[in-house]
Amino acid sequence: MVGRPLTEAELVERARRGDQDAYGELVHAYQGIAFRTAYLLTGNAADAEDAAQEGFVKAFYALRRFRRGAELRPWLLRIVANEARNRRRSAGRRGKLALRAAAVVPSGGAAPSPELSVLDAERSGQLLAALNELRDEEREVIACRYLLELSEDETAETLGLRKGTVKSRLSRALDHLRERMEVDDV
Amino acid sequence: MSELELALTSLGRKLDYPQTPDLAGVVQRRLAEGRRPVAWRRPIAIALAALFVAVAAVMAVPQARSQVLDWLGIGSVTIHYVDELPKLEPREDFELGARVPLGEARERAQFQVLLPRLDGLEYPTVHYRGDIGMVSLLYGTEKAPRLLISEIVSPGAIDKLLTSQTDVEPVHEGDWSGAWLSGGQHVLFLPVQDQILRLVGTVLVVHNGATTVRIEADVSKDEALRILRSLR
Repeated sequence: MVGRPLTEAELVERARRGDQDAYGELVHAYQGIAFRTAYLLTGNAADAEDAAQEGFVKAFYALRRFRRGAELRPWLLRIVANEARNRRRSAGRRGKLALRAAAVVPSGGAAPSPELSVLDAERSGQLLAALNELRDEEREVIACRYLLELSEDETAETLGLRKGTVKSRLSRALDHLRERMEVDDV
Repeated sequence: MSELELALTSLGRKLDYPQTPDLAGVVQRRLAEGRRPVAWRRPIAIALAALFVAVAAVMAVPQARSQVLDWLGIGSVTIHYVDELPKLEPREDFELGARVPLGEARERAQFQVLLPRLDGLEYPTVHYRGDIGMVSLLYGTEKAPRLLISEIVSPGAIDKLLTSQTDVEPVHEGDWSGAWLSGGQHVLFLPVQDQILRLVGTVLVVHNGATTVRIEADVSKDEALRILRSLR
């Protein structure tokens, strides 16, 4: 007889009591978003891997401080994000993000015309270049909210900011992006 | 959402993310090893002030030591007994090379740079010295270093000059073998550059195949071995 899968809350309870297999399941569930978060903050695969790994280990030992009933994902992401920022500060710079080579070809349906593909690629490239030029604090908030598609609450938790600060910082960052995009269009 | 916000969301799906590594497996292995925080005693004795110390230990090399000398080729490090340590000129830094991101150090060194996986260790500054292909991980600051780990694969890149005041104890730990040097300061020397680097206190020097690792810290031998075992 096969038992039902454990819920996240049950896995957290088990992990809190030292069950490393239960924690392994949680890591498996969130390693993708954690690694991408670290990568967006460091711009470097090796640093991102180290940051995510270190973050998950630290989180295991900090589970007793995790508030029951709270959202686990942003709590984990906050620890990973802190590790990633520490690595970026140590390195003294961050890497630049890049587009996938086939990024402009949609995964389903008909491929766009070559002209549309070129325009889309150009536009994405300009936007990415503008994003890469933003200050760290503005790029971080854009990365969490739009690139990772976190909610405003999750963005605030991940970056250790108040929700109001996230809103105002997003607004400023979007303005700066628009300015840069206009300059590029000239 | 505005057009720009939609464009950013779309951009996020086109980014060239590296493939996510198997973090769950690595994290579980680390947890299974049950790491404890490192017990630091005090900053290691490689602070710059130590470089001003004039060393003049005049000791004859006992016959027994001379025999040990043949044995003391530890990967990239060769140990020589001398009657007297050379006098050192003050230096501005540890000559670890350029500070670089870990990923860049791994690329430039062309070997798998190992990191200690111990709870309580902060992230190090990473340095790469190209002339001898050495990667160093510095914990703390250059003025108050707590731990310095150097990794190197070039044969004969580093000489150690020591007098009989330094105790040399053979060490075998898993696939690593080498020596635990303690009891008296010795001198690091780079034969390629004909350059005397600095005084060193307690250090663990081991090699595993082509890789040589130095772990320099004011910790016990057991603690140094624990750091060694944690390298991944």
